[in-house]
Amino acid sequence: MAKTKRRSVLKLAGGAAAASMGGMAAILATGRMPAFAQQRTVHWLKWVDFVPASDALLRKEMLPEAEKALGIKINLETVNGNDLQPRVTAGIQSGAGPDLIMAFNNQTYLYANSVVDLTEIAEAVGKAQGGMYKYARAVCSDGKMFMGMPWAVIGGMIAYRKSWFEEVGATKFPETWEQYREVGKKLKAKGRPIGQTLGHTFGDAPGFTYPYLWSWGGMEVDPSGKVIMNSKETLESVKFMQAFWKDAHDEGGLAWDDTNNNRAFLSQTISATLNGASIYIETLRKPTQYKTEKGAPMHTDILHSPLPKGPAGQFGFHLLQSHMLMKYSKNQDPAKEFLKWIHTEKNFEKWFVSQKGFATPCTEKWEGHKVWSDDPVMAPFKVAAKLGQAPGHAGPPNAKAAEALSKYIVTDMYAKAVQGMPAEDAVKWADAELKKIYG
Amino acid sequence: MAVTALATAEGKRPSRLRRLEDERWLALALLTPTAVLLGLFIAYPFFEGVMLSLSSTRVGEPGHFVGLKNFHKIWNDSIFHTTMWNTFWYTGVTTVFKLALGLWLALLLNRHFRGKAIIRAFILLPFIIPTVLSTFAWKWMFDPTFSVINWTLFQLGLITARINWLGDPDLAMTSIIVINVWRGVPFFAITLLAGLQTISPELHEAAAIDGARPWSRFWHVTWPLLMPVTLVVVLFSVIQTFADFQLVYVMTGGGPANATHLFATYAYQLGIGTGLLAEGAAISLAMFPFLFIIVVVQLLYIRRVETR
Amino acid sequence: MIEGALWRRWVFYNIPLILFVFVLLFPFYWMIITTFRPDGELYRPWNAVNYMPFWTNDPTLEHILYLFEETNFMRWMFNTMFIALVSTVISLFCGVLAGYALARLNFPYAGGLGTAIFVTYLVPQTLLFIPLAEIIRNFQLGDTPWSLILTYPTFLIPFCTWLMMGYFKAIPKELEECARIDGASRWKAMVYIVIPVAVPGILSSGIIAFTLSWNEFIYALVFLSSPDQKTVPVGVTSELIRGDVFFWGPLMAGALLGSIPVAIVYSFFVEHYVSGLTGSVKG
Repeated sequence: MAKTKRRSVLKLAGGAAAASMGGMAAILATGRMPAFAQQRTVHWLKWVDFVPASDALLRKEMLPEAEKALGIKINLETVNGNDLQPRVTAGIQSGAGPDLIMAFNNQTYLYANSVVDLTEIAEAVGKAQGGMYKYARAVCSDGKMFMGMPWAVIGGMIAYRKSWFEEVGATKFPETWEQYREVGKKLKAKGRPIGQTLGHTFGDAPGFTYPYLWSWGGMEVDPSGKVIMNSKETLESVKFMQAFWKDAHDEGGLAWDDTNNNRAFLSQTISATLNGASIYIETLRKPTQYKTEKGAPMHTDILHSPLPKGPAGQFGFHLLQSHMLMKYSKNQDPAKEFLKWIHTEKNFEKWFVSQKGFATPCTEKWEGHKVWSDDPVMAPFKVAAKLGQAPGHAGPPNAKAAEALSKYIVTDMYAKAVQGMPAEDAVKWADAELKKIYG
Repeated sequence: MAVTALATAEGKRPSRLRRLEDERWLALALLTPTAVLLGLFIAYPFFEGVMLSLSSTRVGEPGHFVGLKNFHKIWNDSIFHTTMWNTFWYTGVTTVFKLALGLWLALLLNRHFRGKAIIRAFILLPFIIPTVLSTFAWKWMFDPTFSVINWTLFQLGLITARINWLGDPDLAMTSIIVINVWRGVPFFAITLLAGLQTISPELHEAAAIDGARPWSRFWHVTWPLLMPVTLVVVLFSVIQTFADFQLVYVMTGGGPANATHLFATYAYQLGIGTGLLAEGAAISLAMFPFLFIIVVVQLLYIRRVETR
Repeated sequence: MIEGALWRRWVFYNIPLILFVFVLLFPFYWMIITTFRPDGELYRPWNAVNYMPFWTNDPTLEHILYLFEETNFMRWMFNTMFIALVSTVISLFCGVLAGYALARLNFPYAGGLGTAIFVTYLVPQTLLFIPLAEIIRNFQLGDTPWSLILTYPTFLIPFCTWLMMGYFKAIPKELEECARIDGASRWKAMVYIVIPVAVPGILSSGIIAFTLSWNEFIYALVFLSSPDQKTVPVGVTSELIRGDVFFWGPLMAGALLGSIPVAIVYSFFVEHYVSGLTGSVKG
């Protein structure tokens, strides 16, 4: 008897709980339904642009225009680039979240099962605008579907202080790593080291460490996907890096994210850093605030250069941004309409111009745009998207390469080495970590 | 059965009230809301979390049962070893400092002086303000390029080169320890102060008459009486610190090169960041037995002290 | 307790105390000064000449204005307030009832249950959030305040229960017995006699629960996504760390203003807060 009683009470309790849940759902439903009925909306999550003017342009002009043209209200949310991946995971797991999410590099491969195929839009835009770069295609498409719609490439170049380099005898930017190290040594002796992050941050860290590794001939995997990280070439690169770091770099770089080097450069504590063009663009925007120690506007003293050459050649790895349309999204059609709209030449151009060359479009047609000829300092960025190499080289930029990238294995290898771990051990560590991923 | 039927016949309300006269029924009724909420939002997800850690689930890919493979994997993961060591070191060092400094502060406050109430109210602020927000203030103070701490030390002539607070693995760990201690000392101080105030001054006077010096009075009178309170404070603090997330997430994100990862931040990075849900769950679960053992030991010790 | 010369008092009491207060409060001062300092002054390297970090001669409101004009800060404040209040009320309700049952009633497994509730406090949040995300998806509560209102009690209830048990234990049994002799039912004795006596305890647990909810970060980070659903800690973290090189001003302004509501609630109820903390320890 006791048993039946207890069970009935439990049932009662369960019923009460269910009822309260129903009530809550009902409240929510009544709270939200009208909003849905009135208007179609798309929640768009992208990074906080390093060129703030572009986000302002989107918010104040372009999105209201889109609303007028399409009848779709776009809720733009901008977050720090490092927070995008967690938001994707959270969205997929909780089945609610932004409809369009910006992905970096080959992250798209990690979420292939959870996104909508965008081949149709991507091919159309490619065709209309002079053809899509191979790099963009490789990073966003696995051959069967476009997991993300390529948006733009943030070219990574070394921004450096012309006059400071001249003062130590470098009239043009060093061509090889050895030369760069010599120049850097002199600069650091004058209290003006090179700044480079080796932290866990999406852009400038892999943007430096991957091409650096490749330029020495090191590779994570061979074309078949076999891990070959533990090689003579990789070891050489790590050993050189250890000395290079001590001789020429600002040692604070180990803790930097993508914004620290901008601040350090603008406050004149470093002489050169691998970055997008955002430093230069910021000095252009506020010429009176940023001045050299001699009083000239700082933007007259900044030049850009690609990373130096290594024994195996010269490489670049540039951050590619794309937009994923999430499967859980209830607004897939309006989201597609919006993507088409913003990728039309007329609309995309507005945004592209506001970037002043910080972002390079993923199609060839834009190479001839006057943005590039207007300002010679920006010219090196023109072909970033064309020449970029995808992470996972020499293998394909697949989900495994993306996992290695998001675990910062290559970056950590150098970070560990410059913190004092013997080069051999650091390489072995990276090799073992990669083997866990590639299996 | 017959009795219940009769009771229902009498009408619902009285029967319910009569049942509530029975302590067991009343207890059941009172505990139901708690049980439902905790069951639904802790026990069930806990079970699911355990299952998750035994599967090969990734974000967007359901996965299947793989046994202890994930645990095997993290056991051989050098970052996990660092994480484990970090967590113990972080918890141990901060607890010692929080206790020592907290006790010192409590002793300083345990007397009458003007403005005591205000000081007591103000010093609790670090504990009240949301961790994330106050940690940002610290992050700005430790900023590699604009550190006010470096500025001060430089002006005082104590350093000539910059201290690389967050870039050096050991200093980064030290920095987060400092912040945790900063946040925790007020809690220790206020609760220990309450403990001190329950100790009757007469005991001290008696000891003083016996000729005991201040230090020995503290050691033989105050400390033993303060012991039970101290243990519970430590217990709470250890639980909080061991599972800490916010502070490290904001300060270093686990860097440089994983040197400051704790269980929670590493689980977050793998699970939510990279999308390896199963491995993330395995790492979180790995923290549970440690926490459980620490707490059981402490609880047993508390009981022994209390019954002594 | 203080004997001896004036200098002794300074060396052993006053100076250490001043140092403690200084270190404990300095970060807040730093928040304030950063909030009102113009950008041009903020970004000067640590070894720059003529740099005066502790004061500014031309304070500015631009960072605070930025916060209100360019972000949803007010909305975040409101969300946090709403979520903290409702989850506090729910947790108090559950905690008071459970605390009463565990402290004052005789029933089988009472001790075991008490321990079980305490143990839930130990389960790491990072283990729970993925399964919880699925539960939230099933109830279709993703990206609504209810996803937090229902999950925050998981760590608030154990705390409230623990605290309330302590308070209820301290109330003499005779109080209820008298009432019951006068003919009150158990239920009535609880509602009208014991609970009113425990009001200070309820207030204390409520304030602590409120500050804990205001402080919560992981669940809010994972379960909310729209900019206008966020709570203050998450909003400040995700939207004020900007790609723009200058974010420290608005960020510190956000941290400062985001702390004010808790600080106000706290300042009104300092004594309750303190007694709650100390009660939790004695319980």
